[in-house]
Amino acid sequence: MRNHLLLIIFLMISVSGLAQIKTIESDLLDLKLNVGDTFTPNSYVMTLDGETSQCDNMIYYNKKGVFSTAQSIKVDNETGKIEANQPGLHEVVAVCITEGGKRLSRTFVVDVKFPAVKEIRISLDSDNIYEGTYVPISYEVIDEMGFIRENVNFSIKSSNQNLEIDDVNNIKAVKPGSVTLNASYEGISGSLNLNVLKNPVDNIELSSSVDQARTGDVIQLKAIAYNKKGQKLDNIPFEYSFKGKSFDKSNSASGLVINDGRFVADVSGNYLVTASIGNVSVSKAINIYERNVKRDVVKVGTGLVNDKHTSDFWVFEGVDGRDYAVTGTWGADGTSYFWDVTDPANILKIDSVQVDARTVNDVKVSEDGRIAIISREGASNRKNGIIIIDVTNPRDVKIISEYTKNLTGGVHNLFIYENHVYALSAGQKYYILNIEDPVNPVEVGMFELGKEGQAIHDVWIEDGIAYSSNWRDGVYMVDVGNGIAGGSPSNPVAFGNYNYASGAHHATYPFKSKSTGKFYTVLGDEIFPNGIDVNSPNETAGFLHFVDFTDVDNPVEIARYELPGHGSHNYWIEDDILYVAMYSGGVRVIDISGDLMGDLYKQGREIGYILPGNKDGYIPFATMAWGAQLYKGHVFYSDWNSGIGAAKVMPIKPDNSKVNQYLN
Amino acid sequence: MRGILVLFILLSANTLISKDYYVYVAAESDDMVSLLKFDGKDLIEVERFEVGVMPTEIEGPHGITVDPNGKYWYLSLAHGSPYGTLTKYSTETNKPISSTKLGLFPASMQISEATGLLYCVNFNLHGDMVPSTVSVVDPEIMVEIKQIETGAMPHGSRISPDGLFQYSVAMMSGELFEVDAISLKVNRKLSLEKEMSHSHHHMHHDNDMKMVHSKVKPTWVIPHPSKKSVFVAGNGSDEIIEVDLDNWEVINRINVGKGPYNIEISPDGKYLVSTLKGEGSTGVWSLEDISVNRIIKNTTMVSHGIAISPDSKYAFVSVEGIGGEPGKVDVINLENMSLLSSVNVGKQAGGIAFWKISD
Repeated sequence: MRNHLLLIIFLMISVSGLAQIKTIESDLLDLKLNVGDTFTPNSYVMTLDGETSQCDNMIYYNKKGVFSTAQSIKVDNETGKIEANQPGLHEVVAVCITEGGKRLSRTFVVDVKFPAVKEIRISLDSDNIYEGTYVPISYEVIDEMGFIRENVNFSIKSSNQNLEIDDVNNIKAVKPGSVTLNASYEGISGSLNLNVLKNPVDNIELSSSVDQARTGDVIQLKAIAYNKKGQKLDNIPFEYSFKGKSFDKSNSASGLVINDGRFVADVSGNYLVTASIGNVSVSKAINIYERNVKRDVVKVGTGLVNDKHTSDFWVFEGVDGRDYAVTGTWGADGTSYFWDVTDPANILKIDSVQVDARTVNDVKVSEDGRIAIISREGASNRKNGIIIIDVTNPRDVKIISEYTKNLTGGVHNLFIYENHVYALSAGQKYYILNIEDPVNPVEVGMFELGKEGQAIHDVWIEDGIAYSSNWRDGVYMVDVGNGIAGGSPSNPVAFGNYNYASGAHHATYPFKSKSTGKFYTVLGDEIFPNGIDVNSPNETAGFLHFVDFTDVDNPVEIARYELPGHGSHNYWIEDDILYVAMYSGGVRVIDISGDLMGDLYKQGREIGYILPGNKDGYIPFATMAWGAQLYKGHVFYSDWNSGIGAAKVMPIKPDNSKVNQYLN
Repeated sequence: MRGILVLFILLSANTLISKDYYVYVAAESDDMVSLLKFDGKDLIEVERFEVGVMPTEIEGPHGITVDPNGKYWYLSLAHGSPYGTLTKYSTETNKPISSTKLGLFPASMQISEATGLLYCVNFNLHGDMVPSTVSVVDPEIMVEIKQIETGAMPHGSRISPDGLFQYSVAMMSGELFEVDAISLKVNRKLSLEKEMSHSHHHMHHDNDMKMVHSKVKPTWVIPHPSKKSVFVAGNGSDEIIEVDLDNWEVINRINVGKGPYNIEISPDGKYLVSTLKGEGSTGVWSLEDISVNRIIKNTTMVSHGIAISPDSKYAFVSVEGIGGEPGKVDVINLENMSLLSSVNVGKQAGGIAFWKISD
C-alpha cells in the first residue's frame, strides 16, 4: 500500500512537471514561401497538456546572423516579419523571454521555394566534335526570377546512338552524324544540336622542342594532324596525356601536361607523351634527367636576438656606403634593432629604438637609406600607427615623428616608396602618406576594396604599382604612379586582381622572368594549422602560387612551390632565383628560371637551404624563418627565434663527405 | 593534548571558512587569458591559455565576461580580417566551444539574466569617428542577431539589475545610450557634455545630430544595483557622472583623479570603484558618504578593468603596463580600501571578469 502511494505521488509530480514543460508553437512550422513574399508569424507558448499562452517578449532572428549571407531572408527581431529574398532552406529562431530570465527557443525551417525553372541552356565548349572523343558541354539552369540553380541533377538523353552517356553524364561521341542532346529538369528541357564529325585524322605528327630535358623544364609539344590524303588539318582539339618510368626504381614518374601541349616532368626517367584525337594517337618519347642545381648554402653570420621574438627586417646601404639592417620584434616591448652588416660574417648590433608597442611587425627603409619606418601594434594608448626614424647615422638613429591618424587599429605591414609610406590600417585598407617632410606626414590617398568584410595583410610597391595581399580576395594590382591605369599616390587605381580558393593570401612579390620575359605575381599563403605557441616549435602550412600575369586581364595560376610539412612566409626574387622563408622549413633557395609549370619543389628546382635555428635562440634549435632578402650576394634573413643572419649560396655542390658511408 | 585539540579545531575552522575567488583576465597585447585564484591572502595565476585565430597578429582580446550560471566565459577579439569575433569557452575546460563574428573592435559586454542574450559594444576606433553599434548575440547558439547603431566609439556595455536594459557610452560623441534588451532598439540617449547636457526622452536613434568630439570622453557606465541611477566614467573630464534614470538627467558630477576609465559598484551598493587610467591608480568611494574614499596606487601603470566579488569584499583590478612590461592584476580589500595582493599576467591586461567563489 505504501509503495502504491509513493508511486501515485511520483506520477502526480511527474505529470505536474511535464505539464510545465513548454514549447514555442508558431505558424512558422513547415512554412513555405515564394521569393518576394512577406510573412508575419503568429507564435505562442504551449505546455505539454495543451495549455496555451502568449509570449510577451518574443525575439526572432535569422540563424545565419546579420551579415550579407543572412540577407537571403530578412527577419524583423520584434515582429518576426520575414522577407523572402532568395530561394532555399532558411532557419528562423524564435526566442521567448519569460519572467525570471527563463527562455524558450525553437528553430523553424522556412522553405523559400525555388521559382520554377524557366530555361536550361546548353553550350558546347569546342568548335567541333569528333567521333571517339568526349563532348565538352556546359549547362546553366535559370529560373523564372533569374536565379541560377546550382548542383542540378539533370536527366540527359541523346536523340540517337551517336552519343553514349554514362551514369554521371559524361558524353562520348561514338558515331558520326547529327544528334540532339536533351537535358531536362522539372519538366523543362534544353537541347543542343550537334554534328558529330567523322574523325578526319589519319595520322598525327608530334614534335617537341627538345628530346631530352631536365626535371622542371617546360617542354612545348606540337601536334599536327593529317587526313588520308596527307593534307594538314587545323583546329583539331587534341588530348594530351603521358606515362613514364622513373630511373629510380622506387620512385614514380610524375609530371603535368596541359592541353596546349606543354609538358613538365617532376622526376628523372623515360616519358612518353601522347597526343590523341578519337582513336588516332601518336606518342613522343622524352628523356628527363635530374635538374642538378643543388649548391651548398652556408651560414655566414648571425646577429642573435634571443630575449624576444624577431619579426621582419630590411637590409640597406647607408649614406656612408656601409651596409646596415633594421629588425623588428614581435610580442615584446616595441624594440627595433639596427645592425652593421657590412661584414656579413660579423653582424654587429649598433643601435636600437623602443616605442610604445608590443609588436613592431614590419620595418622598411627608404631608397636613399635615410628614413626608416616601423609599424606599431599593441600600443598602450591603442593609437598604434607608424614611427618615422632618421637613419642617416644608423649608429645613432633618431625618431622624427609618429603618425597615428586612421592607423589606430594597428599597422601590421607597411612599405616606403618614392617619399610615400603605404601603411595598412586595422587589416582593412591601406593609407598613403606623403613624407617629403617626415616631421609632418600628410595623408594623400587610401585604397580599399570597398566591400563588406574587406581584409588586407600586406602591400608591396614596385615600378609604381602597389600589390596588396587581401586574403580571400587575393592580390590587387593598383597603379600608384606607374601610369598603366592613370593612378597616383593620391589617386590609386586598381587594374588587376587574382584570387584563389584557400583564401590564405598573405604576401605578394612581382616577378618578371629574365629568362622568358613572362610576368608573374608570386602569391604566398600563411597558415598555422594548430595556431601558434610562442614558446615551442610550430607547425606551418601553405605555399607559393605562381600566377602568370603576362596578360593582366587573364591571369593564370600555373605553378606552385610547396615544401611538404612547412608553410610559406616572406620572400625575395632576383635573377630568376627565389629566396623564401618557409617558417619551420628554414630559408630555401629555388631556381625559377625558364618557363614555370606544375610543382616546382617536386621538380628538383631547389638549390639549397639553411635552417636558422640556433642553440642560443629564444626557442633553442627551433627554426622559424620570417623573411629573406638577397643583398650584395648574401642571403640575409630574419628568424623569429634567433634574430638576423646571413647566408651564402656557394658555387660548389653540397659536401656529401658526411653522408652514410655505405651510400655510393 | 588539549592544546592539540584546540589547534585542530582552529585549523578545521579555518579550512571550513576559507574561500577561493576565481577571476579571468585578458591580456590584449599577448592574445592570452589567465585564470586567477585568490584565497583571501594571495592572488596566483592558475593557468594561462592562448586565444585567437591569426597566430602572427595581435588580435587583441579585450572584453571578457562569464555567463550568469558560470558555465561559460566569453571573449571578444578586437581585431580580425577586419571584423572582430566573440568566442565562447567552457569554464570547465577553458577550451573554445564556438565563435561568431561581430563588428569592428568588439570590446566590453555582458549577458542579461532576463533575456539570456549577450550585448557587446563594437568600439571601432579606426578611422573617421562614425556611429558604431552594439552587437546582440544569442550565446546559446552563438549567432549575432542584431547590430544596434549607437554613437562613436561605444564602450562599457552593462546591463540593468532587472536585465531589461543595456547601457553603453559613446566615447567620442559623449553620449549615454539605453537599449531595450528585448525590442533591441535604442530607447533613449543622453548627452553627457557639460555645456549641452540635455535629454532625449524615448528617442529612437537618428543621425541628424552633428558629430562633435566629446570633452567628457565617457568610457564606462555602470547601473546602481538597487537604485534607479547609473554612473559614468568621464575619462576626458576626470569626473564620475551620476545619471538619474527616472528623469534621464545628470544629477551629479564627482571630480576624481586623472582619467577614470572603468567603474564598478559592489553588489551591496556600498562602494564605487574606478580605475584612474592616467595615473595608474584605483579609487574607491563609499556611496553612502562620497567623502570617504581612497586612491590606491596600482602596481604598474595604465589601470584598466575591475571585477568585484559577489560578496562585495574584493575588487580585482587589471593594470595594463607599458610596452614589454607584464600586465598585473591587483586585489583591493574594499572594507579597508587597501591593496592586498598582485600577480603578473600577460601584456596589456584589460578585460576582467569574476567567475566564482569556491569553498
